[in-house]
Amino acid sequence: MTLWPVALITFKEGIRNKALYGITLIALMLFGATALIATMIPREVGKVSIDMALSTISFTGLLLVFFVGINLIAKDLDKRTIYTVLSRPISRSQYIFGKFLGMSLLIIVTMSALSVMAMSAIVLLKATHAEYFGRFSWSLITLAILFNMLMLILLSAISFFFASFTTSSFITLVLTIITYIIGHSISGVKALVESSPQEIGITVSPVTLKMVKAAYYLFPNLSLFDIKLQAAHALTVTSSFVMWTVVYGLVYIALAITLAALIFRKKEFP
Amino acid sequence: MITIQGISKEFKEGIAGKRVMALEGLNLEIKRGEVFGFLGPNGAGKSTTIKILMNLIYSDTGKAEIGGKDVRNPESRKIVGYLPENPYFYDYLTADELLWFGGKTAGMVSKTIRTRSDFLINKVDLQNARKRPLRTYSKGMFQRAGLALALIHDPDVVILDEPMSGLDPIGRKMVGDLLIELKGEGKTIFFSSHILNDIERFSDRAGIIIGGKLRLVDTLSNLLSDGKNLEEVFMREVAISEKGTSL
Repeated sequence: MTLWPVALITFKEGIRNKALYGITLIALMLFGATALIATMIPREVGKVSIDMALSTISFTGLLLVFFVGINLIAKDLDKRTIYTVLSRPISRSQYIFGKFLGMSLLIIVTMSALSVMAMSAIVLLKATHAEYFGRFSWSLITLAILFNMLMLILLSAISFFFASFTTSSFITLVLTIITYIIGHSISGVKALVESSPQEIGITVSPVTLKMVKAAYYLFPNLSLFDIKLQAAHALTVTSSFVMWTVVYGLVYIALAITLAALIFRKKEFP
Repeated sequence: MITIQGISKEFKEGIAGKRVMALEGLNLEIKRGEVFGFLGPNGAGKSTTIKILMNLIYSDTGKAEIGGKDVRNPESRKIVGYLPENPYFYDYLTADELLWFGGKTAGMVSKTIRTRSDFLINKVDLQNARKRPLRTYSKGMFQRAGLALALIHDPDVVILDEPMSGLDPIGRKMVGDLLIELKGEGKTIFFSSHILNDIERFSDRAGIIIGGKLRLVDTLSNLLSDGKNLEEVFMREVAISEKGTSL
């Protein structure tokens, strides 16, 4: 119960942020572009529209985490609004968990609204170009959206971890962006260096191999949560893959946020 | 009600990590129902002391308690209302929402929060601005909203860090009246200031802190017993601390 007041003011502060209007506007423009571009590729209208709509959700979700979400905790530290919260009878851990709950709620609500827009765009295109939507699965599209939400919540947890020890919101932002880039590409890079890169003219030193492996286990494998391709082509996604990806995401979130809370306990606010 | 025993605090400054002693062996006891004025020049250690009491920073040595509870225990803050120096709140929240937050974190029920909010919003004269986002508030309005937040749960102890700083005469009068009212209600008040007149007007007892060391603690009547005013007493202590000699 103590978490709820912190979560609710975090959510309200986020949902009323003017940057959110900008993000929604960008999303609307991209959904409009989806409708236009998809119809330019007649035989692939179905795949292209699903792929573009889901990409728009991913992109705007990232904007939300980077430019609204990170500020929700970083501004507390930069502008000392944290005094308002920590002077109440709540612990540092309750502050972090409450803040994270509010941030997760913001991601879920905003992403749900964007998903309704995305699905509306797909419904519209499906109604006008039904013949190109042969292989189509709403459940896969929904799963792709939910996976994306989970990935954004994970990224937020990581931003909390960085905010717990950095001194400025800019450093938290940069570290979170770097983590996103590495997390998204590390699985592909690992697969490349472990296969036979010499066949395509690439030499990988043992040190590089070790570094890539270390990064693979250290950084979250964010590409796991990206099933846009499977959704666009209505490919099969096994239930064990879904289950393990969710477990992986939740464990990573729990680890990142617990570490953030532990570090935050020691932090001082002079 | 507030006990500070042997508190010291050192900060590291700059890239070189130069050590600065912000507080040195501070001992202080503030009794229930007492109004204690904490006087000192800028950078003397007033805010550091208050931040240790609010558990925003940790002391290197010693311990501090409020109402018999260690300040590191969040429960100690259940009976405390705190106004930071230059308070800053969430941009997009309203004063009503801020007070709801304050009430809920203190364990109040919604109905009591509403009644208490109405009372305090009137008291700090924010009736016309209570539904407006806090980012549209002026400095004085921020201070008043902060006071209402500090008092929402009717705390026994009120800790105010420079409550009058940057206020216009009307704001100063309002805060002053509120202090007198709280004193009448038997609240324990600990407030810091570098404005001598404020200390003289509101305190039962005052402490003078200079360079992280508590130089003098006594009742106002004792401090001013030789017909001196507080300015003379304060300047004498400053001179002693700077030169190590009495004027």
